[in-house]
Amino acid sequence: MRRSILKDLLILLGVFALIWLLASLFNYPDKPKLLSIEKEERLGEAYVDLILLNPMFRELENEKIDSAVSMIGDRLEANLEHSDYLYNFVVFDSKMINAFTVPGGNILISSGLIAFCDSPEELASVMAHEMGHVEERHVVSRLIKELGIDILTSGDQYVLGEVTGLLTSTSFDRKQEEEADRFAAELLERSSIEPRTLATFFRKLEEESDNELMKHFEIISTHPNFSSRIREALSYEPADDFKALPMDLDWEGIQAGL
Amino acid sequence: MEYHPLPQPDEIEVRVREDAMGAYFMMFATTAMGLPLPILNLVAAVIYYYVNRDKGKFVQFHTLQSLYSQIPVTLLNSGLVAWTIVNFVKDFDFTGFYWGYLVMCACAGLIYFIFSIVGAVKARKGIFYYFVFFGKVAYHQVYRIRPKYGTSAPENRPPSY
Repeated sequence: MRRSILKDLLILLGVFALIWLLASLFNYPDKPKLLSIEKEERLGEAYVDLILLNPMFRELENEKIDSAVSMIGDRLEANLEHSDYLYNFVVFDSKMINAFTVPGGNILISSGLIAFCDSPEELASVMAHEMGHVEERHVVSRLIKELGIDILTSGDQYVLGEVTGLLTSTSFDRKQEEEADRFAAELLERSSIEPRTLATFFRKLEEESDNELMKHFEIISTHPNFSSRIREALSYEPADDFKALPMDLDWEGIQAGL
Repeated sequence: MEYHPLPQPDEIEVRVREDAMGAYFMMFATTAMGLPLPILNLVAAVIYYYVNRDKGKFVQFHTLQSLYSQIPVTLLNSGLVAWTIVNFVKDFDFTGFYWGYLVMCACAGLIYFIFSIVGAVKARKGIFYYFVFFGKVAYHQVYRIRPKYGTSAPENRPPSY
């Protein structure tokens, strides 16, 4: 009898362990599906238009800079494994060191950030980080969480203005920043850009953490401090056959045009 | 190991059958309470067992079977509630393991629900219905003939070689 009971117990445990294991392997959606990509892109366009109307975010019209940013963006986009987004990189004229993500694959970069980066690879690492926020739908998740899907999609001009305000002072939580950092490192490697450039960029930011010009920069708006993120970025190991291909850009010449 | 003989359906009184059936249906009454705090289900099952255990072995078997089968379901659900709270408070990821655990809890709950319905119907008919594992444990505990210590005279035996 005892042996039979033990056998039953083992069968029960086995069956439920198997259910747990199999159910764990299923690919559960972890990104918000409440807002379609198409709708997100339409909203994103409206937000970008509104943001650029603000004198603080006036679009910088400089062909040289635009083409440099496009070139970096194209290289990163070409190495995305899969993306539902068509990226739009916009440079705005501001001394602030800043870059932020707007729904629909729009990434706004300040001219101050371009001046702050010592190489196109550093700018690429920031852009890849922002693309991580786009691909993981962090901005949309945050907006849905804070405002709710109904308000977000209402199309009301006043709401649009408020959302725009939220977007320009975006901050993400620790987990989202870590996800974006990891995404950036992987994307940089695939794009033949040294993935640990991100650590260099973080170190520079850390050294200038008292700089008033970067107080709105989302990358530095979250905890934990930079030390752990620098450590994490440095611990990324590229593949043995990885070879960095330098960006064919006259960076100093580009920065001189700012 | 020896066991007491089992009563046949026509030997079991209707009132006894209804008490046995109640062990399973009590679970439905406490489900609403047990959703936020799964341990309440178990407390109710323990109380039901102690109130009804003197009503004969048939009732005792069914209440014990219901009680035992509720223990793992309660533990699983408590784990789920704790895991969910921790994830929200600490802002942890809802990983595949979490969702897998949730699916497993749902399966356990569903199986427990189906077995309980069948158990209740059978108990009402005066029939023994054995859940996998728990049925055997309950039968063994209720119907096993226990040796009566201290009543028999001491017996001398030769040494064992």
